[in-house]
Amino acid sequence: MKIKIINNLKKVVVLFFILTPNNLHADFFEDITSQIVDNPKRLSYGISVTDLNQDGNFDFIVTGFGYLNLALSYENGKLINIVNQKKFSDEFRRTIGVAACDIDKDGFEEIYFLNTDTYSGTKKYSDRLLDMRDNNYFDLFELEKNKENLNLTAGRSVACVDRKGDGEYGIYVANYGGPSRFYEIENESIKDKAQNLNLDNITGGRAVVSGHILTDRADIFAANERGANFLFKNNNGNFEDVAFDYRIDDAIQNGRGTALSDIYYRGRLDILSGNWLGYHRAWILENREFKDIGNKAFDKPSRIRTIISADFDNDGFDEVFMNNIAEPNKLFRIKDNGKFEQINFQVGLEANGYGTGAAVADIDNDGVLELLVARGESKEQPLTLYKAKVNKENKYLRIKPLNKYGAPARGATVTLITNKRKHSKTIDAGSGYLCQMEPVAHYGIRKNEKNFKVEIKWTNGTKKLFNVSELNQTITIKQK
Amino acid sequence: MKKFLNLSLIIFLILFQLKSFAEERNYHKELITDWSRIFPDKNRNAAGPKFFKYIIDKKITYKDFIEFNKLYCAVSGSLIDPNSDSEFLFIEETKTRKKICGNYYRCCVPCSCDLMKYSETQKMKYEFKDGLKEFYVLTIKNPCGKNDFPNRVNKDYFCDGKKINKSEVYSLDDQIVIGLLHNGKICEKNEIDFVKSHQVTGRYCNLRNNTPLENLDAGMGDIFIKLAR
Repeated sequence: MKIKIINNLKKVVVLFFILTPNNLHADFFEDITSQIVDNPKRLSYGISVTDLNQDGNFDFIVTGFGYLNLALSYENGKLINIVNQKKFSDEFRRTIGVAACDIDKDGFEEIYFLNTDTYSGTKKYSDRLLDMRDNNYFDLFELEKNKENLNLTAGRSVACVDRKGDGEYGIYVANYGGPSRFYEIENESIKDKAQNLNLDNITGGRAVVSGHILTDRADIFAANERGANFLFKNNNGNFEDVAFDYRIDDAIQNGRGTALSDIYYRGRLDILSGNWLGYHRAWILENREFKDIGNKAFDKPSRIRTIISADFDNDGFDEVFMNNIAEPNKLFRIKDNGKFEQINFQVGLEANGYGTGAAVADIDNDGVLELLVARGESKEQPLTLYKAKVNKENKYLRIKPLNKYGAPARGATVTLITNKRKHSKTIDAGSGYLCQMEPVAHYGIRKNEKNFKVEIKWTNGTKKLFNVSELNQTITIKQK
Repeated sequence: MKKFLNLSLIIFLILFQLKSFAEERNYHKELITDWSRIFPDKNRNAAGPKFFKYIIDKKITYKDFIEFNKLYCAVSGSLIDPNSDSEFLFIEETKTRKKICGNYYRCCVPCSCDLMKYSETQKMKYEFKDGLKEFYVLTIKNPCGKNDFPNRVNKDYFCDGKKINKSEVYSLDDQIVIGLLHNGKICEKNEIDFVKSHQVTGRYCNLRNNTPLENLDAGMGDIFIKLAR
């Protein structure tokens, strides 16, 4: 009798575990922070990924708030700071936002450092826009001809925008308590064109992304605090705010991090947006309106900072990493049909971490993304570095589009088309909170996936389609 | 018997799972999402009636109607955090002058006092998705003819000239419906005694309701009072 009862109980227990959503598994991330050489406690904020030393490999730029800005390059299994020039390191200007893009069409990315020495309104020190001459960084804003256009308003995030689709990038600066700015080169000078382009709204700017959101040109989505979000639709290089019409204004929530993500794997970019202690959004465009499809676990209010959409474990489904401050981070996997599946994890949880920014890049060129997390704000903490524990059978494909000048085609859209999905990714122009990811579309490959084609939609809306016969490689495609 | 028990357990577990997979409607999130639709000019001062109209115009069940109406303050127009407690109070019924007791979800205590002093209640019937229901609503007199209509309230929300603007707010017998009195019913004597002796609805409201208008700075100050008196 006892044995029968025990057997029945066993059956019930087995059945319970079969039916229970099974997110309990070996830890998702591996902590590889020890690869960072010289990693003291500090206040770090935004991170950008670019090929700083032009050696063909990406480097992390990490901003410091009263600490050095760093350029972490991967050498012999370690991440080492490779820049010690004062204009770059700039310990005293309190940098928080950063983005890199080619504003002068020379094929190399300039670096925009957003400095903010006050919470809101007028600040003391302007931003820096760094270019390089003879291996030395110089600040374009320090040139006499550019001094009339300094940004002296507190700000947060920065994104690169190829608004005309011609490879000449402008920089959208999300300011706080003053008008947003849009810098472009005109007649060899840096001009703020925000007013002319209808971008000079005053708000509590927090986060900004740019890419093919509504049109075949670079649109802009800005998540704001104490004011409605902006969705700037690109109309031949000019902009119109259509956030209200598209129901994405979220007027009484406080935006923090935002990212473009193909949530339905349907070949278009939708929007993820984390709100500070508010409902996080997974916005899908349907019938000229954005509909929030985030489930209860995903939208649960938290002290969010940055948000990243990327395939960390190369299983062909994107994860969403939510970086919370002084609260455990969260991780979701986006399954088919927009289902957000929460991933339980311990490594990378950082329950006591003061996360601010984070960025992904395949920094060691092994086909798996590294995640670098910046921490700071009210407590000095070291950087942390993670990498997913990847099934060795999982394959990947990386697409690296370059524009006609040979610079990363930030804002272009890459779509992987297979028998399983039509999956778009943006070539990151600036995203998350204060950050910018590597300018590569990184895809893990699903089980039984075949017939690989890739389409690139360039920033001018033209497309290039090609077949891919071999996986586990990075394909560099240059725009003609 | 054992087979029956086993089968019952399996069915229970499956139902448990199905329930845990089902997503409950998030009423608070819906109101936050549509806030700029409800208040296009961003002015929500005393605009509880806008919330009520927005909610009742949705094609929803009675349960949905009840839940939505717990999430805004009929007096101030503020959103209320989910799971907030309600105030037990009474309001005079327009037709019978009887005291109707019920629960009121408010953003802050002065709103309970203002509601008790300046609003009335009426029975209302409405056909929801799941049938015809009757309930008590909170109302104020038509304010549209006032010379001292409070300038911090968007008059266009409430009025079309001297008439109530029925495309923007819901009206009942030429009164504006500002919200729902939850669990409304004719008061028992002990309930009236409870309300009158309660530290908020009794003692604090006595103090507030005897304070000159120009000295009121808590809650909505004098905005709602000027609208409703």
